[in-house]
Amino acid sequence: MGRNEEQSIEGASGDGPNRRNRSNPLGVVVIIAIAAIWEALVRFSIADVQFLPAPSEIVVAAQEEIVGGEFVGRLVHTVGVTVLGWGIAAVVGVGLGLLLGLWPTAYRYSMTSFEVTRAIPPITFVPAALLIFGFSLKMELVLVIYGGIWPVLINTIGGVRSIAPELRDVGTMLRLSTPETIRKIVLPAALPSVVVGLRLGLSLCLVLAVVAEMVGNPAGLGNGLISARQALQPARMFVYVMAAGLVGVVLNAGLRATAQVLLPDGALKDISAT
Amino acid sequence: MTQRLRLDSLTGLLPLVLLLSVWQLIGDPDSPFFPAPSSWWPALFTLGQGDKIIPAILDTVRTFGLGLLGASILGVALGLSIGVSRAVGRAVGPTFEFARALPPAAIVPVATLLLGFDETMKVVVVVLAAVWPILLNTSSGVQELNPVLLDTARSIRLSRMRTLFAVLLPSVMPAIVLGVRVATPIALVITLLVEYLTAVNGVGALVGEAQRTFQPARVYALIVIAGLLSLVVNACVRSVENAVQRRRVGDS
Repeated sequence: MGRNEEQSIEGASGDGPNRRNRSNPLGVVVIIAIAAIWEALVRFSIADVQFLPAPSEIVVAAQEEIVGGEFVGRLVHTVGVTVLGWGIAAVVGVGLGLLLGLWPTAYRYSMTSFEVTRAIPPITFVPAALLIFGFSLKMELVLVIYGGIWPVLINTIGGVRSIAPELRDVGTMLRLSTPETIRKIVLPAALPSVVVGLRLGLSLCLVLAVVAEMVGNPAGLGNGLISARQALQPARMFVYVMAAGLVGVVLNAGLRATAQVLLPDGALKDISAT
Repeated sequence: MTQRLRLDSLTGLLPLVLLLSVWQLIGDPDSPFFPAPSSWWPALFTLGQGDKIIPAILDTVRTFGLGLLGASILGVALGLSIGVSRAVGRAVGPTFEFARALPPAAIVPVATLLLGFDETMKVVVVVLAAVWPILLNTSSGVQELNPVLLDTARSIRLSRMRTLFAVLLPSVMPAIVLGVRVATPIALVITLLVEYLTAVNGVGALVGEAQRTFQPARVYALIVIAGLLSLVVNACVRSVENAVQRRRVGDS
């Protein structure tokens, strides 16, 4: 399930994880070229799209927002809620996933319920959360946690259930206690799959945080976006759109780097391959 | 085996059934937060709102379908070019990585500002969000092909067009279908998201309206409808995927 989200567009197949670290001048040139063409189109009104700001206007707006505006506070809010919600989702998801993955009875008597609930698009819970919690931080946090739990839970269950039975037999043979078995055998074996779930969960958490801020909790990047939209200041709006994208890229890269440090080499290979 | 599987899935429903039963027993039909499940269905039809449901579902399905179709065409085209040429992949790589990281919700206000509040805007946002898994699966499908396949095409001097349609596309088909399957739930979620955020037609817009007019039972009923819609849509795509794979097995 997670495999398709894990690939990079440059196509890392065969080159291993270090490929990303190489510099890519061609890629940078393309970004600059796009910005230049965009600037020219707007500046010389070749493409006369109302409300499309030129990149230079966006840069100016970004400076104003960062120096005098509420940008930094909003950025901190969104990143904070995303990471906090994701952390809670990770703990709950891994815990519940271990339980369901290791205990067949629990799996049999609940999995269909989880499948059915998971099928409901999380976005439709936004109105329900608004009715229940009002326009509050609580509502944002609940949504972020709810959305983030699913990929972690599903991938943890998958990882635990696909552990070779021989591995678990080793635990029995060494007379490891249940907590020891989990810590020394189950968790390391399921880790690559769990990390995939954590990455998917992190992007989902960010998406739901931004949605919650746009419609509910008046704070964060989502709120900045909406207030710029309502004030018909497209340059400011683009600042927030780009910031949201950058937060996604940075959070993802951070998680990737952490995984590279924490995981043994073999596990990492698995991640980049799947 | 199938018998057992079915029984297992039924026992798995137990917690959900229990939850809904308890909710029904202690829930107050007029509760502003958790109205009893029995009040959900009638809430769809109060105040003459019953006529809105079917058109809304059709609107959502249309936006979803057009969006997924657009994402498939765009994703396959881009994925093939990136897969065939490493240089193209490296050139657009960083740009696409950034575009992919943009939360779709953040694109919505921009899209409404530039395109207005209409069907085109909805479809464009869905395409932008759902194109990535298709693009990625197609390009890695091409990269994982046996090079002999393309060499053969070259050595028997197939034209580029023939190579594309007779060699490349059929061999990458399973990867494309996998990408479309992954993109399907994304396309549906984003359709509902756009509808909710912009109030332009569809089930998402109805949920938003029910929330703003404080009709919790109606909100829950529409959540159930969205869930059923997603189950049906995913089952359809899965059966298409199975059919494609069966045909492939039959070929070889």
